[in-house]
Amino acid sequence: MSVTVLLQLVENGLVLGAMYGLIAVGYTMVYGTIQLINFAHGEIFMLGGFGALTVYAWIPGVAHLPLFAALPLMLLGGVVVAVAAAVGAERLAYRPLRTAPRLAPLITAIGLSLALQQVVSLWYRLPGGGNAKAPVAFPSFGGKAFDLGGVLVQRADLFTVIAAAVCMAGLAWFVARTRSGRAMQATAQDPDTARLMGIDPDRMIVVAFAVGAALAAVAALTQGLRYGQISFDMGFVAGLKAFTAAVLGGIGNVRGAMLGGIVLGLAEELSSGILAHFRDTAQYGQAWADVWAFVLLILVLLLRPQGLLGERVADRA
Amino acid sequence: MTALLNDEALLSVEALLSVEALHVAYGRVEAVKGISMRVLPGQTVALLGANGAGKTTTLRTLSGLLRPTAGTIRFAGQSLERVPAHHIVRAGLAHCPEARRIFPRMTIEENLRLGAFIRGNEDLGPDLRQAYERFPILGERHDQMAGLLSGGEQQMLAIARALMCRPRLLMLDEPSMGLSPIMMQQILRTVAELKDAGTTILLVEQNAQAALALADYAYVLETGRIVVEGTGAELLADERVRVAYLGEG
Amino acid sequence: MFQRSLAVLGAVAGVCGLATACGSRSQSAHTASGSGGGATVVKIGLDAPLTGGLQALGLGMQYSAQLAVDLANKQQAVPGVTFQLVAKDDQASASIGEQNAAAYVADPGVAGVVGPLNSAVAQSMQSVFNQANLVDVSSASTNPSLTQGPNWKTAKTRAYPSFFRDITTDAVQGPFAADYVFKTLGIHSVATVDDGQTYGVGLVETFSAEFKKLGGQIALAQTATANTTDYSSVISAVKSSGAKLVYYGGEYPAGAPLSKELKAAGLNIPEMGGDGNQDPTYIKTAGPASNGDFATVPGAPLAALPSAKDFIAQYQAAHFPAPYAIYGGTSYDAAESIILSVKAALAQDGGKMPAGDAFRSQVEKAEQAVSFDGATGPVAFDQYGDVGSKVITMYKIENGAWDQGVYSGAFAG
Ligand SMILES: Nc1ncnc2c1ncn2[C@@H]1O[C@H](COP(=O)(O)OP(=O)(O)O)[C@@H](O)[C@H]1O
Ligand SMILES: [Mg+2]
Repeated sequence: MSVTVLLQLVENGLVLGAMYGLIAVGYTMVYGTIQLINFAHGEIFMLGGFGALTVYAWIPGVAHLPLFAALPLMLLGGVVVAVAAAVGAERLAYRPLRTAPRLAPLITAIGLSLALQQVVSLWYRLPGGGNAKAPVAFPSFGGKAFDLGGVLVQRADLFTVIAAAVCMAGLAWFVARTRSGRAMQATAQDPDTARLMGIDPDRMIVVAFAVGAALAAVAALTQGLRYGQISFDMGFVAGLKAFTAAVLGGIGNVRGAMLGGIVLGLAEELSSGILAHFRDTAQYGQAWADVWAFVLLILVLLLRPQGLLGERVADRA
Repeated sequence: MTALLNDEALLSVEALLSVEALHVAYGRVEAVKGISMRVLPGQTVALLGANGAGKTTTLRTLSGLLRPTAGTIRFAGQSLERVPAHHIVRAGLAHCPEARRIFPRMTIEENLRLGAFIRGNEDLGPDLRQAYERFPILGERHDQMAGLLSGGEQQMLAIARALMCRPRLLMLDEPSMGLSPIMMQQILRTVAELKDAGTTILLVEQNAQAALALADYAYVLETGRIVVEGTGAELLADERVRVAYLGEG
Repeated sequence: MFQRSLAVLGAVAGVCGLATACGSRSQSAHTASGSGGGATVVKIGLDAPLTGGLQALGLGMQYSAQLAVDLANKQQAVPGVTFQLVAKDDQASASIGEQNAAAYVADPGVAGVVGPLNSAVAQSMQSVFNQANLVDVSSASTNPSLTQGPNWKTAKTRAYPSFFRDITTDAVQGPFAADYVFKTLGIHSVATVDDGQTYGVGLVETFSAEFKKLGGQIALAQTATANTTDYSSVISAVKSSGAKLVYYGGEYPAGAPLSKELKAAGLNIPEMGGDGNQDPTYIKTAGPASNGDFATVPGAPLAALPSAKDFIAQYQAAHFPAPYAIYGGTSYDAAESIILSVKAALAQDGGKMPAGDAFRSQVEKAEQAVSFDGATGPVAFDQYGDVGSKVITMYKIENGAWDQGVYSGAFAG
């Protein structure tokens, strides 16, 4: 196994991990503010993809633009749809259950996740009558990959990494430097005292849902660009992985979500890639990638139950 | 200066806070059973009582974290019973909660800035400077995580944070709780300074001796009811109070 | 209209997780209204993935079977009997398929079932059907063990007397592809990737066995999952293996991204798959770089078969909302075979319909004996329940579309 192959696996892992991290932020922010595992977040990611595709397929002229010019419009469409869905879900499904027992919003989230999948599968339409019951094609970059001494960096990979870096920098700035960001942190650390400061918890919860959804929409765009297709059920696996990443990094911790994503992506690609490389272990490669991802999760949680960057969980009674 | 006012003068002043027949319950268990009290502008009023008497419950109801089951709360001419907590602080009622409740994973300065959250994007420079003057240790360590402060320092931060919104009434819930005697002295001195500077204060304390020495007026709570009230001096002289709360008799 | 509402119902039922309960309730309602004309209603089930990644194939199966039923009713193929198609969506899931099978068995009006598509789904349905002697004719499941038993390579035994299929098996599809790669394309080193499912693994196994027998080298054998879209670790292994072609065992939703990513990684080698890859969506997803990829499909191309002319004309005249796709011909023939078996079973009893279980046994016997000229050619089942025809066609992507078949023939072995 050559160094180039290893580096290629690292490159793959970083890109995949960046995407997991972008989705994981949504789980972690919502959990941080209301201790809800928003199982429908995977579907918010999926809706972001369809929002972007809608702009591409339905708005005349967008499909004829060069892809780099169409991307900002698609991104806008994805973000609008994902944020609207997430904020709507919070208002209509989760808020009425705020004081209900923990299990109620959790089950609602699972139901919502199935419902959103079915809505897209049953009613999404492409121009010309195509539907989304099967995976639908997504535009992708033409042109060759960048060759860095044998390690190939796909154009979509580059886009993914840059998008993730920009989003994370923006998020870090938002949380640490803006008034709303600090208010959100305060709500996460001590909701009652945050109210005494004059912070409206409902608004902070909406902000958490909206920011998480926006990043998930960016992730969906990178997913579509990399694999050339999106599907109504793509949120399930991606959501599960991102949730794993969030737990791995320490749920509630935004930097932890990104770190967890990258660790998970690297672990998945390296374990499956190295195993795939040797004849005797090839069968434990790609097919077992998810297994290795969860083995890693279990190991980390055994050694550090609070996750890589997590604080003590029993912080609040 | 309020100490100079006589009783007739007091009656003619409009109350900043007035509470009538307030009832608060946790589920079916009533913790506050119909209390009435008044705080006049510039006064320091003490709320005394043993553990579990309902003092914290009362303050949390005043600041909107709990909803009363009956009774009225008027603050600066406004009814507060139905107003959410994050609006009550905007009306000028600051609550420095029991056990300090600073934000441990934020810096001292971030904690202070959150105290001024309702003031939006105003320049907080002068207020921060004032806080650091009052508590120099906070200034020295302004960019450290608040969770690293000692108990007494956290209490200073909690008081400074509550002052950042420039409140018309400052409610302090057992600021001396769990502190070393020296720290306790320092915190009580701070409260005295605030009073002297003209701040209106509603003070909950277990240390009745110190509280009564500070207070213009005081109420004693027992299992959710006011059993004694009067000026600080009157209560210090009251037989029942001396036996029950000052460890005499 | 009726099918569409059923498909919607099926999807909704999937959501409630009550596929069986909701499904059977809605159908008994239909029986009541359908039998108003005094005719006996005989139901034919159709189980296929009507939603999800394989929907294009599944709907083609559904509408083709519907066409057979509609024509039989119009022509009074069995006097006094009105046929009714009862479609159920298995979402390509073995457990939903099993629930659907149980629902068909529980409905005494069902005389036979067409489908499913996936071999793994077929596997889970058969013991349910077999216990009730309910005939199932698959028009798309190509794993050999379904008919010839788990040890089909060494000792063939009929696994389920109630199971039939009118499509050639992977036992032929894989070796046919191996033969073509080695002899026609002259490629002697191949990497294989399967999706870990019954169909995909079977395809790769039979391909590899034949390819090695011919003297070729399997440079790399990889397994992924059916919902994989990220093949990066597989691709770096393929790259260093030096393989000149990737043989994929699986279906197009996972097969197309493999092709796209192979080419993006600079590997200009073709991907070849089975019938599961041969779908227009494969090309849409994999993009222009998929030109030159191959796929085998059992049977000769329908468009080229004189026997299928009628079917194609009728299908187009009926204006179904989806094309008949690659399993349309076999699904039409499968439905037809059940209609003929029902006719034979009734004739035996002088036109009277025997009670429940006895009737199903008679249909099963009749199915074994059925023989007619269908859209895909002569249909008759051997002692394992397989059709006689062993014809396979190799398709290639040219200029962004599947061609008309580069080579069609029977695999001699
Ligand atoms: N969250 C709660 N749930 C139920 N009962 C409570 C809760 N908080 C306080 N109580 C009860 O209410 C009464 C008053 O408590 P509290 O207001 O905290 O008293 P104090 O501050 O005077 O010590 C006590 O009997 C206490 O047990
Ligand atoms: Mg208390």
